[in-house]
Amino acid sequence: MTAAAPATSAGEPLRVETLPTLPGLGALYARGAAASGRIAAGRAMPGLPVIGQGRAAEGDGEARPLTLPDVAHRVTGVPTVDLAHHLHDYQRLLHEPVTDVLPAGYLHVLAFPLATAVMVRGDFPLPLLGMVHLANAVELRGPVVVGDVLEVRAWAENLRPHKRGVQVDLVAEVRRQAEPGGAPVWRGVSTYLAKGFHLPWTGEPDLPAAATGGDGDERAPAGTWTPPLPTGRWALGPGTGRAYGAVSGDRNPIHLSALSAKAFGFPRAIAHGMYTAARALADVGHARGDAYRWTVEFASPVLLPGTIDVAVTPDGDGTGFAYVGWNGRRHRQHFRGAVTPL
Amino acid sequence: MATRKPSDGSPRGSSRTSSRAASPSAPAGVRDAVIVGGNRIPFSRAGKKYADASNQEMFTAALEGLVARFGLQGERIGEVVGGAVLKHSRDFNLIRESVLGSSLSPQTPAFDLQQACATGLEAAITVANKIRLGQIESGIAGGTDTISDAPVAVSEGLRRALLDASHAKTLQARLKAFAKVRPADLKPLSPATDEPRTGLSMGEHQAITTARWGISRSAQDEVALASHQHLAAAWDAGFFDDLVTPFRGLTRDDNLRADTSLEKLASLKPVFGRGLAEPAEPTMTAGNSTPLTDGASTVLLASADWAAERDLPVLARLVDAETAAVDFVHGHDGLLMAPVHAVPRLLARTGLDLGDFDFYEIHEAFASTVLTTLAAWEDADYCKAELGLDTPLGSIDRDRLNVNGSSLAAGHPFAATGGRILATAAKLVAAKAAETGKPARALISVCAAGGLGATAVVESV
Amino acid sequence: MTDSYTKAVNSGFTKTLATKLGLPRPAVLRRFRAGDPLTVGPVLVVSDEASTGDADALARVLLGWGLDVRRQPTDDTRWGAVLLVLTEAERPTDVSAAVLAVGSVLRRLATNGRVVTVSRAAAEGDAPALAAVRNGVDGFLRSLAKELRAGATGNGIVLTDDAAVDAPSVLSTLRFFLSARSAYVDGQLLPVGPADADLPADWDRPLAGQVAVVTGAARGIGAAIAKTLARDGATVVCVDVPAAGEGLARTANAVGGTALQLDVTSDDAGRRILEHARTRHGGLDVVVHNAGILRDKLLANMKPAQWDAVIAVNLEAQLRINDQLLGDGSGDDGVDGLRIVSLASTSGIAGNKGQTNYGFSKAGVIGHTRATAPLAASRGGTANAVAPGFIETEMTSSIPFATREVARRLNSLQQGGQPVDVAEAIAFLASPAAAGVNGQVLRVCGQNLVGR
Repeated sequence: MTAAAPATSAGEPLRVETLPTLPGLGALYARGAAASGRIAAGRAMPGLPVIGQGRAAEGDGEARPLTLPDVAHRVTGVPTVDLAHHLHDYQRLLHEPVTDVLPAGYLHVLAFPLATAVMVRGDFPLPLLGMVHLANAVELRGPVVVGDVLEVRAWAENLRPHKRGVQVDLVAEVRRQAEPGGAPVWRGVSTYLAKGFHLPWTGEPDLPAAATGGDGDERAPAGTWTPPLPTGRWALGPGTGRAYGAVSGDRNPIHLSALSAKAFGFPRAIAHGMYTAARALADVGHARGDAYRWTVEFASPVLLPGTIDVAVTPDGDGTGFAYVGWNGRRHRQHFRGAVTPL
Repeated sequence: MATRKPSDGSPRGSSRTSSRAASPSAPAGVRDAVIVGGNRIPFSRAGKKYADASNQEMFTAALEGLVARFGLQGERIGEVVGGAVLKHSRDFNLIRESVLGSSLSPQTPAFDLQQACATGLEAAITVANKIRLGQIESGIAGGTDTISDAPVAVSEGLRRALLDASHAKTLQARLKAFAKVRPADLKPLSPATDEPRTGLSMGEHQAITTARWGISRSAQDEVALASHQHLAAAWDAGFFDDLVTPFRGLTRDDNLRADTSLEKLASLKPVFGRGLAEPAEPTMTAGNSTPLTDGASTVLLASADWAAERDLPVLARLVDAETAAVDFVHGHDGLLMAPVHAVPRLLARTGLDLGDFDFYEIHEAFASTVLTTLAAWEDADYCKAELGLDTPLGSIDRDRLNVNGSSLAAGHPFAATGGRILATAAKLVAAKAAETGKPARALISVCAAGGLGATAVVESV
Repeated sequence: MTDSYTKAVNSGFTKTLATKLGLPRPAVLRRFRAGDPLTVGPVLVVSDEASTGDADALARVLLGWGLDVRRQPTDDTRWGAVLLVLTEAERPTDVSAAVLAVGSVLRRLATNGRVVTVSRAAAEGDAPALAAVRNGVDGFLRSLAKELRAGATGNGIVLTDDAAVDAPSVLSTLRFFLSARSAYVDGQLLPVGPADADLPADWDRPLAGQVAVVTGAARGIGAAIAKTLARDGATVVCVDVPAAGEGLARTANAVGGTALQLDVTSDDAGRRILEHARTRHGGLDVVVHNAGILRDKLLANMKPAQWDAVIAVNLEAQLRINDQLLGDGSGDDGVDGLRIVSLASTSGIAGNKGQTNYGFSKAGVIGHTRATAPLAASRGGTANAVAPGFIETEMTSSIPFATREVARRLNSLQQGGQPVDVAEAIAFLASPAAAGVNGQVLRVCGQNLVGR
């Protein structure tokens, strides 16, 4: 069961570190918080050695380039046979039909701890806490069903500047173990922003299109954008973040309660970006088929509780669906994306 | 896709009424299903006269009035079919239980069905089809709905805990099940009338359709005004004397505002479509939208022989019916536009044109529902692209539309509306035929949640 | 609506108490139940000498009805009824022995017993002595009725136009007076003429095959009428205003009839009733004008609407419906053999303070009934009225307690009547065998002390 040698999207080879099982997210957060503290301390006190070859740019010492660990985490033999119950909880929460087929969003949930494990590595140059999820792009090349045994890999790549800091892609891949060496059946790229870091300028910043109106937590001026006719409305209760946190394992405090969110500068708890994207994916329904590309760009956080208008509409050329979510009263975009059958 | 009969080249619509199509006849091996009459209770705005009346009580009352009107005490009816849109779990056999509580023979079978706001009409179509096939000789169709006594569900967390506890064998296990209940789980869940797939209320959906079709506020208010005026006139003329039986002291539909005016309607604040970018001033108000209503209705259908053997009157026959659905989930079509699709298919099968009707009963879920329906039938592009018609379906003579008022004035207890409309249409065509000595015909159109629609043709006998 | 006093003085400790205190003890009236015996005991048939033949003829009829009939008083009998036949008496002295014979058994008249006189009406051309004895029966019976106790009643049949004592209508009237159906009819003399009629095949279903319309059938007396007519075998069309439809449906479903929501004051009410009866039930035999309203006000305070409404519903509607049902006599637009029974009231006979409008309307009913009688008779029908006294209904239950107590005791039976008592009288008048009763007002009042 030798898989193709791992490499980044740009072809740079990666070392493989095989973990015995998918890590638990709770422990990762504890480590992530500690690492974040260390990194923050490193930024505040430039004299302190910082693990990894990059360093924070805000110190008044000389700027050293930030670099990503050239390592891919891998877990093989991940069973899904016992996941049916958890899968169905996810499907109910996200308004997916309850079946034994794993939606792309569920595979994201499955792979997320491994990607997080990369981000809490000692040699990962950016702090886990406070990173902003800017965008996500997923390709599902075929159905993954309960019972499939999977191999999951995750690594970080493509560290690049952003006008508010640096952004990095966390790439995760899922393969069916029955098809070793084949192309991944699922591949997800999560783009995060770490604010307050700088990279040497290498040209135009690679900004997501939708982020031009606001890069995650920046308020876009209201009324400058005219929303389409909605096709749906989501009434998101105060427990939305806790519910998705429970099913995804992503219990980032900004999603859990107003109190814990305030600690990170949000007036109230905010919805998980991937929750909103997965709701939109579910909304597309049967038309997406077994294989599809699913993207999202996050423009502004969705405060909880809250009601947002969404439009999930077929593309003009009929090849897929575009979706956008916004605040119906203030006409401010929260997210937009597309679902394109492959 | 739509296969209309070959056109003779003349424009469709009201101009064709002079050359009336021959009466559609039943297919070979199929006999007529006739409408003997109907009975409903007055419709009441939610939380008023029927605040403590259950669906079963209301439907039983409507049944009892029908039994009394037609002397059906102890009669074994072929089947009673009806339903409620908002239904308690204890009402799993709502219609059968109502039959058992009525003066009908307890040997009368019954079943529940539900097609949202089209429940009543779909029940009548079902009964008529059984009669047409000779499976039954008589049937009662109807529906009932209450907002006042709607079921309130418990949260998913509490529900799971209750189920777990009821399955638990030991006290410890039971306590463990309840220990999982969180304070938030104790909050009851009110029944939602929002579309499950979109989260938009019906009003918001129609606001989108209204915006897309550019229907004006004043046009909607005019439809609402006409509805109230027509319904009030019909009540005053005694039209409902043999269609309605009072209930709980209510003798008339209490949503009816005989004294409303365009000025009063114009003064109301918009309630739907306020979040839309266009139009800047939303158009849908409480005045040109139906209120939440409680009520029940029934219609007695039969074979002609059955009616004749019992010296029962025959108002009309239910000629044919067509249901349709639209893809509204991603905005391809408006939620309430399904009848727009059903009618041309129904006309094609019956060999009729849109102008071949003396009466048009278009359910007024909202004033703009009626207007978008009519606009779509007149729109060449829509008719071509969505209905597959080479020319627009046509326009109707507005003087024949909802002549005795409709849901805006009477109210709309979802499942009860079909029965109200069908009985009204049957009585209208019977009276028209008696007056003119010529057959009279009505087209019925009922839109429904879920992008559904039911339509039917009723003709005098 | 319940007369708790009557209940109290007839049961348990309160009965003993009431007896000791000498309180009036109104009897619990025996009312009709199918299968019960016609009378509560043997029937004594008494007559003056000249009327022996008629008495024998009636005695044979009673035997035919399965009754224990005696021609001589005996000391050890609890009499169920006494029949006094005076048809052929010619002078006042002729009846003395027979009348005193009746008096000799009155103490042994059973609870809910009956005294029925059969006599002939004084007519023009009668000899003075003949007229005297015939009219004397009237005063005798009315007085006797007031002497009877314990739910017993006295009523008289007055033969007119040389009617034979065994004419069908006489027999059906006799049976009505003897039976529990006339529980609250007391002190009444009913003129009965000769008329062709068939006696019912089944005395428990005298209205079998008949189609009857009852107006105001949603509740109260109207509902009781519908139920009684249906019990007697009629198919009942229940009519009431649309606003009363819920109660109307209840009545119609209880009697297996049909409900017709109709305002009797509408111009075409009669035609619509007739059309409904004909198309749905194949014809019309009986119309009961029961619909009526009250708008009590002293005349000084009477508003036009209050006067007009009462006249429109209680009187004009009956007139218009009768016109439409009887037609103009020229063609087939009317109904043959129609029995019309209208609701009058003792208020229309004796008057009542605050009821000038109601009293007018009910006296008007009596007037039009007498005038309609020959019109109906010309098509083989009859028109009669029933005048209820104090009847225990929702309406009378709203009268203040003291007034109500006085009103309900002011009659020979010392109690109010039940709606069914009115209904029984109507069912009797509506029956085919009552063809010889026409243009009459039958009071159902327990021999109310007001008026005649």
